[in-house]
Amino acid sequence: MSLGLEELTACFQGILPSMFFTCARDGTPNAAFLSHVDYVDATHVALSFQFFNKSRRNISENPYALIRVIDPDNNQGWALGLKFERSETSGPIFDRMFLRIEAIASYVGLKGIFKLKAADIYLVESVEQVPEEPGRQERWSPRARRHPDAVFTMKALQELSARMTAAANLDQLLEAILSGIKEYFGFSHSMILLTGDKPNTLITIAHRGYPQGGVGSEIQFGEGIIGVVAEAQQPIRISGLIRGMLYAAAARRRATERGWRPQEEVRLPGLENPSSQLGVPLVVRGELIGVLCIESETAYRFHEADKNTIEMLGASLAIAIQNMQLKAPDEEPAAAPPINAPIKAPTPVGGRPRRRHRELTYYKSEDVIMLDGEYLIRSLPARILWKLLQAHKHEGRAEFTNRELRLDKSLGLPDFKDNLETRLLLLRRRLDEKSREIRIVPTGRGRFALELECAIELTEKS
Amino acid sequence: MLDKSLTEFLEHGLAIHLGTRNEALRPNGCRVTAVRVEDQGRHLVAYLPAAGTAAVLEDLRSNGQAAVSFARPTDDRAVQVKGELISARDAEPSEEAFVLGQWQALLRELDMVGLAALTSTSTWLMWPCVAVKIRVTAVFSQTPGPEAGAVLS
Repeated sequence: MSLGLEELTACFQGILPSMFFTCARDGTPNAAFLSHVDYVDATHVALSFQFFNKSRRNISENPYALIRVIDPDNNQGWALGLKFERSETSGPIFDRMFLRIEAIASYVGLKGIFKLKAADIYLVESVEQVPEEPGRQERWSPRARRHPDAVFTMKALQELSARMTAAANLDQLLEAILSGIKEYFGFSHSMILLTGDKPNTLITIAHRGYPQGGVGSEIQFGEGIIGVVAEAQQPIRISGLIRGMLYAAAARRRATERGWRPQEEVRLPGLENPSSQLGVPLVVRGELIGVLCIESETAYRFHEADKNTIEMLGASLAIAIQNMQLKAPDEEPAAAPPINAPIKAPTPVGGRPRRRHRELTYYKSEDVIMLDGEYLIRSLPARILWKLLQAHKHEGRAEFTNRELRLDKSLGLPDFKDNLETRLLLLRRRLDEKSREIRIVPTGRGRFALELECAIELTEKS
Repeated sequence: MLDKSLTEFLEHGLAIHLGTRNEALRPNGCRVTAVRVEDQGRHLVAYLPAAGTAAVLEDLRSNGQAAVSFARPTDDRAVQVKGELISARDAEPSEEAFVLGQWQALLRELDMVGLAALTSTSTWLMWPCVAVKIRVTAVFSQTPGPEAGAVLS
């Protein structure tokens, strides 16, 4: 049976390995595994050119090749007769393949070694069913074929938008997004990272489905899928993540044996063994404000049909988040009266026991607060927390306003787009994860309280 | 050509493919269910699923050139054996257990790296087989990376 290439896009997600057959000018055949075959259009595919290997040399001598791919939906094998047309080292096809490889390479510390040299474009001259690899359907036909349901439907997008518009503040908005992604799209593991105070850095502000926590964790641009998405401001879908990482890990072992020293590895946030990941840049008028990352333990959750809706999702989330960041609460009392704040007695509740005493150390030169010797938070949220703790200790205050933080020049808030709401939210969520005895609780529009349920010892070091 | 360590690897139960070419130097290829190393590593018997051998057998009979690629899914260690056709015959029923045993070992490997999709179906026609005996002429490393293509033997 023969059919159009567009019917086989599922074969090109890299979930199942592909084979590449070539022949040298002297007639010696070659068979090699391929890391990835990319769908270009109805008559072309692109193969990644990463190493100067025998297959590549053969193609330079004899442009004909055969690839064998497997449809992950029904296990049908397909043989594609190819003829080499050209190599591309820039443009949308190259960029798409480059980003995918960069993201996987960064996981195993192989950036710069495991790199795409070119996207080789081939004309597909024939598409034939592989006779020894028949698929699950006995009478296979393109018309009868049931495509797996697309995940990012317009309906789901509309329902998520409706939920988002009901949010009154950034905290509720982020919750609405992550809960909506679970409810309407079916993904239980997701996180949102926003640009941090440090340049080219993202910081985790909210997540769902990761009991180990992770609010406040930082990722540099270019690291992992999230960092590569931020750097390129392009969405990345990887369905066969395990296969790609194994391939990259094999390349890394070889490079290390040759004396190459790996860069420091980035710890993968989120699931320990994700099979598929989606990174969506959150961009408003060309400015990156963050990245949405969705993970699944199931391979092949992101479909070609999802591509446009994923881009729309990123755009609508970015605008909603930025609007909320810029919407500073302006209706608040001119000055909140100081309130004496006695230490509350520890209240026994479920989970880990509350502590009666906690020690916080602010390292001024590092701009970091440590809690009982462990990292708590850094930069502006750290300076805010230190101000609150000092005010509590020396003035007995427990209630504060956003306005007084904005007026305090010692905190170093920028005059324009200070993202104070985001910083306070990060601080509040970070405290929720690391300490049950020290909490920041919203008490009204533009107001919040510092609640302490233990004795605290404050030390400042330069 | 194929020492004891390499023989153990090749017969471990790997993802195996045979590449050939026709007189016009157009490549062909098919999956290989299993292999057996013979004659102190000088020869390799590749068991090709009979359902998919027509083109490659025609190529082998016309020019004899063969390339057999092996890869272990769990770590992507890969080897390619080049050779020339000596003979081709139908596999004997007595060989079925050996051949399908190797195939099952591959399915277990695939399962370990999350490729359960391939192991959850029995639609593929991995038996009966045609046994193709090849004289080994060269062995190359194919593990991904800068050393891919290095001569092993």
